[in-house]
Amino acid sequence: MKTVIKYSLLLLILIISSCSNFLEQEPQTALTEEQVFSELDNIEPLVLGLYTSWRNTRKDRGGFVFLLGTDEVQQGAYQVLTDASQAGLDRYNGFLSPSNNALAEQWDSRWPVIAAAARVISSLQFNEQDPNRKNILLGEASFIRAALTFEMVQYWGDVPIIDVDRFDELGTARQPQEAVYSYIIQDLEHAIAYLPITQSDKRRATKGAAEALLGKVYLYAPEESGVRDYGKALEHFEAVVNSGVYSLVANYADLWSPAYPNTNESLYEFQFNNVWPDNNQCQWQTGSRAVALVDQYAYFGGYDLLVPTPYCYADRSAGGIWEAGDLRRSESIRYDFTYRGVPTPLQPGWGGDELDPHVKKYEDPRTDGTLSFWNSGKNIFYLRYADVLLCYAEVLNELGRTAEAVNIVNTTVRQRAWGGNLPPEAHWQGGMSQAEFRTNILDERMRELCFEGLRRMDLNRTGMLTTHVPARNRWAQQSNTIQSYHRYYPIPLQEIRQNEDISENDQNPGYANQ
Amino acid sequence: MRPKISYILAFFLLFIGQLGVQTVWAQQVMQLKGRVTDKNTGEAISGVSILERGTSNGTSTDENGLFNLSVSAGARIVFTAVGYDSREFIPREALVDVSLSPTSNQLDEIVIVGASIKKGDLTGAVTRIDSKKLAELPVTGVNQAMEGRLPGVLIQSNPRPGGNASIRVRGNNSIQYGGNPIYVVDGLIIEDAVNTINPDDISSIDILKDASATALYGSRGANGVIVITTKKGQGEGQINYNGWYGVQEFSKMIPYMGAQDIFNLRLDAFANQYMDNNPGADRQAYIDQLLADGSEAFADYEFETYRSGRSYNWLEEITRTGKQQNHSLNFSKGGETGSVYLGLNFTDQLGLVKNSSYKRYGGQVNIDQQIKPWLKVGTNTSVTRTEEGLLADGVFNIAANANPLLAINDQMNYLRWANVESTDLYNPIRSLRIDGNNFLNRVMTNNYINIQPIQGLNIRTNLSVDLRNQQTYWYTPKDLGESLRNSTEGTANHRKDETLYWQWDNAITYDKSFQEKHNLSALLSMSVSKQNYNYNQVNALGFATDDFSYKYLSGAFLRDRFELGSDFTTYSLMSYIGRVNYNYANKYYATLTARYDGSSRFGPNNKWGLFPSLALAWNIAEEVFFNKEVVNLLKLRGGYGIAGNQNIPDFAFRSLYRPVYSNNSVTYVSDGRLGNEDLKWEKQKQLNIGLDAALLNDRFSFSFDYFHINNDDLLMQRTLSLTSGFSNTIANVGALQNKGLEFVANAAILREGELKWNFSVNISSYKNKITKLYGDVTAIYNRGGFTGVEIQREGNLFLGESLNNIFVYQFDKIAQVEDMERLAGMDFGGRTVRPGDILPLDRDGNGIIDENDRFVVGNKDPKFYGGFSTDLAYKGWSVNAVFSYNYGAKALSYLYEGLMGGSGMYASHEDMNDRWTPEHTNTNIPRAFFGGGRYGAGDTNWSVQDASFLRLNALTLSYTFNTSLAQRYKLNNLRIYTTASNLFTITDYKGYDPTGGDDYPMARMFVFGLNIGL
Repeated sequence: MKTVIKYSLLLLILIISSCSNFLEQEPQTALTEEQVFSELDNIEPLVLGLYTSWRNTRKDRGGFVFLLGTDEVQQGAYQVLTDASQAGLDRYNGFLSPSNNALAEQWDSRWPVIAAAARVISSLQFNEQDPNRKNILLGEASFIRAALTFEMVQYWGDVPIIDVDRFDELGTARQPQEAVYSYIIQDLEHAIAYLPITQSDKRRATKGAAEALLGKVYLYAPEESGVRDYGKALEHFEAVVNSGVYSLVANYADLWSPAYPNTNESLYEFQFNNVWPDNNQCQWQTGSRAVALVDQYAYFGGYDLLVPTPYCYADRSAGGIWEAGDLRRSESIRYDFTYRGVPTPLQPGWGGDELDPHVKKYEDPRTDGTLSFWNSGKNIFYLRYADVLLCYAEVLNELGRTAEAVNIVNTTVRQRAWGGNLPPEAHWQGGMSQAEFRTNILDERMRELCFEGLRRMDLNRTGMLTTHVPARNRWAQQSNTIQSYHRYYPIPLQEIRQNEDISENDQNPGYANQ
Repeated sequence: MRPKISYILAFFLLFIGQLGVQTVWAQQVMQLKGRVTDKNTGEAISGVSILERGTSNGTSTDENGLFNLSVSAGARIVFTAVGYDSREFIPREALVDVSLSPTSNQLDEIVIVGASIKKGDLTGAVTRIDSKKLAELPVTGVNQAMEGRLPGVLIQSNPRPGGNASIRVRGNNSIQYGGNPIYVVDGLIIEDAVNTINPDDISSIDILKDASATALYGSRGANGVIVITTKKGQGEGQINYNGWYGVQEFSKMIPYMGAQDIFNLRLDAFANQYMDNNPGADRQAYIDQLLADGSEAFADYEFETYRSGRSYNWLEEITRTGKQQNHSLNFSKGGETGSVYLGLNFTDQLGLVKNSSYKRYGGQVNIDQQIKPWLKVGTNTSVTRTEEGLLADGVFNIAANANPLLAINDQMNYLRWANVESTDLYNPIRSLRIDGNNFLNRVMTNNYINIQPIQGLNIRTNLSVDLRNQQTYWYTPKDLGESLRNSTEGTANHRKDETLYWQWDNAITYDKSFQEKHNLSALLSMSVSKQNYNYNQVNALGFATDDFSYKYLSGAFLRDRFELGSDFTTYSLMSYIGRVNYNYANKYYATLTARYDGSSRFGPNNKWGLFPSLALAWNIAEEVFFNKEVVNLLKLRGGYGIAGNQNIPDFAFRSLYRPVYSNNSVTYVSDGRLGNEDLKWEKQKQLNIGLDAALLNDRFSFSFDYFHINNDDLLMQRTLSLTSGFSNTIANVGALQNKGLEFVANAAILREGELKWNFSVNISSYKNKITKLYGDVTAIYNRGGFTGVEIQREGNLFLGESLNNIFVYQFDKIAQVEDMERLAGMDFGGRTVRPGDILPLDRDGNGIIDENDRFVVGNKDPKFYGGFSTDLAYKGWSVNAVFSYNYGAKALSYLYEGLMGGSGMYASHEDMNDRWTPEHTNTNIPRAFFGGGRYGAGDTNWSVQDASFLRLNALTLSYTFNTSLAQRYKLNNLRIYTTASNLFTITDYKGYDPTGGDDYPMARMFVFGLNIGL
């Protein structure tokens, strides 16, 4: 009996002493922060993940939020009818407020990428592994932080600068645009220094992309920030043009064919395919509801989130932008909704614009008949050479070299638009004034680059937002409430409430915190 | 070696002896006579079985409790009766009076963390429900069985077949992490899937509510502990069968508008929109246009239905009469040296919606054996399998809300309104072809060895295991909308979940009484437990044929679209517990507990927490100055203690990055949560004061409890500004206060005569209030909705408000023509308000309707809730009714709101017929409208519903055959009964059910059942 007690007690003591590690349970299927940031082998997939997160900002509905309320697209009528908050993005009414959800989503999706890139940049300082590989990663993280911060500062004005090493000083408070741009410039200079000229993995950024983006930063920065510098912009655009790496593809239509991804015209494009989660779902937003009803697998079906404005789809004669013979018109915009020989009927109970011209650039014929247009997954351009050339020309014009600028437009972008032979009547004349050029280039950019996500920035930097949008966008015209303060979006209300460094007084002018 | 063999032999011999090897010795015979009475009431008990132990010699008592049996002198005689503890003894005289104690009053033991404790020693707040009460309700789940029965316990029913009702003990004590109590089944702690337990195997359920009572489970007991004790063999061998069969129907259907009304509603809605956009236009001309060919509002098929006068009810196509049956058979026997109980159970349910079904097969074995005078071993082991036929998501709702103008067909992939085909509205008739099954296998076993080296000292070790294996399968055929929409060409999903939980408890207890009046019991215990969980999942796409359903993954061809998933997690807990119970002359009680708990869920520096508690009780009735004539029990209880909570996700102290496959390579992506190394145990300070009283020899009894819980280091997920790089973190922030009252009364109103009437009522309330959020934050908004960032009406946290608040605009009125002038200057943030629309109140009077005008309109917490029951018995007949009620709770009915949209392009509630029109302005129902930009039904408190209700949970009529008849067929007990469950619910709630939610109506069931005891 005594032995039993003795053994039991012994057993108890044994249990207690053998259990010192019993409560140490570490994740078996995740890496901890320490593990991720200590090794290049882990940082590299993390950086690739940042590219993916950045790419995903261009997917689906969210990818089109900044396009709404411009002079090239407007929301489909059925969506305007059924979602007042989203409609505010075109109407510029009370729904375009700090509590607008669609905008908060855009704000929220970008900061984690910026913050993680900042952490990569900071942790790489102390990394002593393979310096070559380390530098490329540093260049990439710098490029990503710059690209996303550039979007933030363009759309929201003063925004936080995320710098891990200066966190105590900067926190997450809004910083003056000038300071934000100088960070972007510094990041891009690092990127130019460290990035290779080409990357076999097309998700990854190159020196050329960084160079072009830096040129755009100098061109797009608002004049009042003091950062706009046409001379420096010229320098970087010239570096791209003279690098010999990039050229326009001969046939404009090839740009929109899924058969030709990552051409020489592409400085950087987001990589998609038809398989979730790497599809982009864009056609779901840009296609026609009427077609979707006819056949779920018709590749130009969709749900009319956005349709081109009449200005964007109409011919010159009808008050639009299109000149006779311009091949870009029919590659960019769908006018015909005949599917497999049968015209698509318009249905009752909808908005009425379901068979008006639609955006064509995201159509993915690979899905036709076999996959829902939800699976659409062509690559999406972030920077393409035609854009660089047009920016280059614009900078030349601003520097007083209008004739050179006209020549570039004629011999590159417009020449291709007419299939390689620009007819004389389509030639821009050498005697064009600087002011005329400004007007013309804005239309030219729409013809070449419409629906590619550049328009809002173009309207803002040229100061034409409040002129062109109410004149050309149906909904903005209807409510007629757009004002100059609308060039910046409101800081989301939840950011003000949750960010200890941003208070209600820090809201952009014109917006009430509601 | 040798002693071991002899032990084993002894075990076998003892065991065999128990199982009935009979030895008959020739003995002297004696004529035993006597009367059997109820120990409490002194009344005679009829039908008591009296057996000479080890023989088949026996009889039973007559209606006056009298018996007469010749027995061998010196034989042990066993008295057993349903509802009473059995007794056995060796009669010394020929004339004996025997009194039996009702089972419900027995001071039995419950097993707690490896130690066996007398229930009477629990000085805290405990309520109990016993097998007799459980048997009154034909249910298959434990939680349902408790509805309306227990103070402080709020049950929310789940209308799904096999669905598990949710349960809250004393409301909410934590904000986000943990609301569910834990269940302790014969010592094994389980946290969910309690519906595998067969209520027929349960002997009692004890709810431990305050810190002192839950202290023994301190690491996980913060939200209450439900102790389930399964049946033990008692007395002579018994065989019991309980079987019932029930037919189900929906207890409530929504009054939907038919085709004609919908048609008119849509006409009105389109015309209203047209007139808004074109003021001064010709409304009638537009209506004529809508009614003509090429209509903007109606499709041809709708005109056809309208003109034919028909209306289509899609719901009827997918529903049926539900059927349910349940059979339990158990065998039991017990004696001085051990007991055995074997329970078998089969449940089969065919749900009210086609394809939904539930089956359960279960077995329970409980064995106790006294191996040596100092050694006792035992096991409680159950094996269960459930098979569930699953219904594809949304089938019920899509069918219920289908267009009544649309002719029923199984060809169309998506349903439509006009010609707007929504790819979310899968044809429910076709969706029934989706094949879904869930199989669960579970073994729960608790095994103990108890050594008693000297009287009063017990050393006990318990090893418990809960092994759960679950498989879920789905197959979506190729030609369904679900497949076409996503181009999947048939999808098969396999998911397998495995949970292995084990728990090892070691305890030493010592009980000692000295100087007659000092009773001391001490407990020292240590316990370790660990849970390993893993799952794996395959979604395979592309099948050549639907014939194999989900069974042959190898045949799937869309290989690049396969999805794979798996995860493995482990968490562990460790505790040391010390407890001392002391009482002086059964008058003054004290219980002091201290426990030290460690959890793997916290970071290296904060794994451990200390949780003390103290409870005191004073049994006033035992005092000499007290007259026990009238008041026979008066006990005052008080307890204070700290309970712990660690119910957060695993590894929350780390920031985690996971590999994600994208674009043909692996990327590392953060899961969005910032790791917090400072995380520590949540500590809830709980105070409980209670009073128990009984009058007139227990004829009336009352129990009252007050509790007050302050929770300071509350574990919460706080959202972060995304500029931090993370979207959220879990931290010990915030504080919550929860207090309430509970009262229960039982009365044996009539108990002397043939007609007996018992009445029991309970009433409870709780009130919780957030007393601190993190930092200076006064509100944390719950965001969600279409874009994930809209402020929701529920789930927002406000300082000083209940956790369960509802946050909306205040409904002012339906705007009238005469209001338009006043409203012209109002800023509705982009919306418009026209006559007939809902007008929110500008609460701050600044002319702008914005977030500042939203307010907390009320809580989903009831002001008070509970239940009452009545038992009326006359001879063998008995009528029993159990009611539950809830008063003052508010609720949102998303279903009703959807049906009051008034567009005519969606299903509509008949209330919409009373809508505002220029001719009918005296109404609270807004006008018809097609389009957005107005305040919807859900924006204001217009839609907030009163969820108060009174429900008749069960009405049972039973007849117990009198002894002589039963005896003729050698039966101990024969009872037949019929029950109507969920017979009616009186409520103003507009959705399906104020507690069951809106997904699915509740079922009403009519049951016929039979109990046979042998």
